[in-house]
Amino acid sequence: MISVGIDAGAATTKAVVLRDNEIAGYIIIPTGFDFRKAGEKAYEEVLSKCGINKIEVGKILATGYGRSSIGFADKTISEITAHARGVGYLIPAAHTIIDIGGQDSKVIITENGKVVDFLMNDRCAAGTGKFLEYTAKALEISLNELGTLALVSKNPAKISSMCTVFAESEVISLRAQKTKKEDIAAGLIESIILRATSMVKKLGIKPEVAFVGGVAKNPGVVKAFEKALDTRVQLPEEPQITGAFGAALLI
Amino acid sequence: MVEDSIFLRSLDLFKDAFPGRINQILKSKEDGKKIVGTLCLYVPDEIIYACGADRVILCGGRSAPIVAAEEYLPRNLCPLIKSSFGSVIDQKCSKTKSCPHFGLVDLIVAEATCDGKKKMYELLDKYIPTYVMDLPQKPENQNALEYYIKELDSLKDVLEKLTGNKITDVLLRKEIKSANETRRLLHALYELRKRDSPPIRGTEMLKVLQQMHFLAPDEFRKNLVLLLDELKVKKRESSGPRIMISGCPMASGNMKVPEIIENRGGLIVVEESCTGTRAFWDLVDENKEPMRALAERYLKIPCACMSPNDRRIAQILQLAGDFNVDGVVYYTLQFCHGYNVEKYRVGEALKQSGIPLLSIETDYSGADSEQIKTRVDAFLEMLE
Repeated sequence: MISVGIDAGAATTKAVVLRDNEIAGYIIIPTGFDFRKAGEKAYEEVLSKCGINKIEVGKILATGYGRSSIGFADKTISEITAHARGVGYLIPAAHTIIDIGGQDSKVIITENGKVVDFLMNDRCAAGTGKFLEYTAKALEISLNELGTLALVSKNPAKISSMCTVFAESEVISLRAQKTKKEDIAAGLIESIILRATSMVKKLGIKPEVAFVGGVAKNPGVVKAFEKALDTRVQLPEEPQITGAFGAALLI
Repeated sequence: MVEDSIFLRSLDLFKDAFPGRINQILKSKEDGKKIVGTLCLYVPDEIIYACGADRVILCGGRSAPIVAAEEYLPRNLCPLIKSSFGSVIDQKCSKTKSCPHFGLVDLIVAEATCDGKKKMYELLDKYIPTYVMDLPQKPENQNALEYYIKELDSLKDVLEKLTGNKITDVLLRKEIKSANETRRLLHALYELRKRDSPPIRGTEMLKVLQQMHFLAPDEFRKNLVLLLDELKVKKRESSGPRIMISGCPMASGNMKVPEIIENRGGLIVVEESCTGTRAFWDLVDENKEPMRALAERYLKIPCACMSPNDRRIAQILQLAGDFNVDGVVYYTLQFCHGYNVEKYRVGEALKQSGIPLLSIETDYSGADSEQIKTRVDAFLEMLE
């Protein structure tokens, strides 16, 4: 049986094809303006990548911020449930899931792959991928460089603004004060870590910890998390697709 | 949630009551009746009516008046306070008359509950004479009740001066009896919500309770009797996780969160809120001296402005059991410090009882609707 999970995220759309619960292929594309179009594109591209015909597909399940725009899906499910299922399958020992995406960040506590409690950040970009994207721009480096650069910092700068817009101007002030680039980068990462760890602590950490979402691909963030939580953080092979994978499993 | 074709005709009585009520107030004014505006459950309706005045609630639930209010009030203030203030200045200073009752009030009887309201009332007084009743903030204190009785006595004097009428014990007893009757009807209605398939949804119930302090008590009670008669005979198939809403009031015009919950498949069975149980739960003792009996009843209202507020936590746990609640949605307005801080203690108590909680802090805009939908979906999926 072939099933497809589509995670219509705010920044990227992910599609995963499962053949008898094994990943046959996946794709990650930028969402752009239109959730529906991105969903269709991801669906078609992932099928052609796997060499699968639409007729062979059993069920399609949509998740993510734009899930209701994926009209061709058989069902929709919240990304919180989807991530819990996906991570539960890939890392069965994980019971605390941190997901930092482009639009929001969340912490999910699970038991046997089921959600028992969760928290989502407030509506603004603070503590999300968007925060890093914007502030990296103020440093005139790419998002990837930000993470690697942060790893060499010995003296992370204190960034007190949680707000993305304010943090951007704070970065400019730090540059004017000739603070080292790597120290600013590390400071920015610590700032978003602080926000996520406070959510984890609010719920109470339940070992082990898994980290998913686009921001989990950033080595600087992962290292900072391990330090802040004083525990090892586990990553799935491809942290960006656990939502889509979980959705496909939930069919 | 299984949608069926049931149509509660008596709900229209509440929905369509607005123009009739405005005309009624206009006519009362012509006849020399005084109109009192209130913004809180701690101001006893019984005293106002015993004085021969009419009363209308001024709590704002609409987003539109907030812009005007922000010319005077800080942005980071609770939307209910801003909307209420904005509605008054809108009626007093401009020609748009969308909610005319805000401009028809002779005296506002306000109350010292939260800081935001207290300071807003100082500004409000410039537009409509505003009398602020003090409240004991520690209701369990030995002197709290006596102090509150004194404050109610002062309110009595203020109202007697306003109307020229005398408030007698006979009149008070009559109003207490009538208000208790309404409370009993609401209890009977909530009793029906304990069923596996409640005949009324949370969004429908909220529209009824939003009218409770807008309509005249007799009219509200008359409509309630009709609604109850209709509910008793109608069967309705409703399913989905049983949700309790607990937290800030949802003033008329504010339906955002309950609508999302019920549209996504939740079944709201009880609201621990000023537009819910807090509005009617306790009765006034009809055998006691009226002013004391009123003070005892009203001081029991478990508002988060009181400290400590253990009785609210006890009430939430009790309701969760009685209404067979699967999960609690803790609803707060942004910048409402009382309810936002109290969330922690409520959360701890619920956790100990094994009842899941979803907390939603929001305002009157629609900006966060999609994020709220995601949370609500995940919460309902978790409860199923």
